[in-house]
Amino acid sequence: MANAPEGIVLGRHRDLQGRKHQVWVRRGILAVIGIVPLLGLFNFFGQRPTDTQAAGQAATLSLSAPQRARGGLLYQAHFTIEAHRDLENAALILHPDWLQGMTLNTLEPSPTEETSENGAVRLEFGPIASGNRFDVFLQYQVNPTAVGSRKQWVELVDGQTRVASIQRGLFLFP
Amino acid sequence: MDLVLRAIFLYFFVFAITRVIGRRELSQLAPFDIILLIVAGDAIQQGLTQDDYSLTGAVLVVGTFAILQLFTSYASFKIVRLRPLLEGEPIVIIQDGKVLDRNLRRERLTKEEIEEEARQQQISSLDQVQWAVLENSGKISFLTKS
Repeated sequence: MANAPEGIVLGRHRDLQGRKHQVWVRRGILAVIGIVPLLGLFNFFGQRPTDTQAAGQAATLSLSAPQRARGGLLYQAHFTIEAHRDLENAALILHPDWLQGMTLNTLEPSPTEETSENGAVRLEFGPIASGNRFDVFLQYQVNPTAVGSRKQWVELVDGQTRVASIQRGLFLFP
Repeated sequence: MDLVLRAIFLYFFVFAITRVIGRRELSQLAPFDIILLIVAGDAIQQGLTQDDYSLTGAVLVVGTFAILQLFTSYASFKIVRLRPLLEGEPIVIIQDGKVLDRNLRRERLTKEEIEEEARQQQISSLDQVQWAVLENSGKISFLTKS
């Protein structure tokens, strides 16, 4: 039998001695890599919206927005207010995390007044008659450097009276 | 800082992908593979720099890649035990004209592919081959019987 070429060790390079585990390491890494798109299919990395509702005596507040997003993504937060009685001055109070590390591209309809209240952002929309529905759309883009969890807290108030509130979170993947 | 961290993560991610995907796939690029490679490069670039169009950003990313590449090749050069991990190891696929099926299966190679490769090197039959070795680069070296 001819000698093996230089640099070739038959035990290792032909008979694969000490290399049997390499196939399993390779398969393991491939499995981990394969899990990532699979998780993506199940919305693990966002940005499909989830709906949350909070019902008060005076009105019901609904929020439809993603709870998981990634850097640079465009997404929408949709607030719906359904008044059960006349609201004299409906306002949404947003936790500062709604704007921390985010670019707010547009907000429709424009509030009659915007102000800061104890660090939160207060958006006033004026009166809403009983039985009416009022929709607010916020269009966002996640800043690429924003990573981690954010509070998606929002409170619906009528003047200074608390009507309903939603407390949930948003996670930003890099 | 963010750009450098992204570059480091993506460097090792791409490195892991190229090591586990199989060397033959990387050495034999069909038109579809080339398109896939371009699309992958574009996806990596977007995840890497995102909306950063600055010269500073480009210098940071390219600099990080250069240092990591240098570090990897230096580690491979200095630490012999790391070499198989970083560069892979050759594998014998033919001995005395006999195809080693087990080693072929491991690399997802078919006999037809080896025959094609042999023809490209003016070898008409695998019987003429003394040794065939799938190298780290994904190329097959043929040593014919004298």
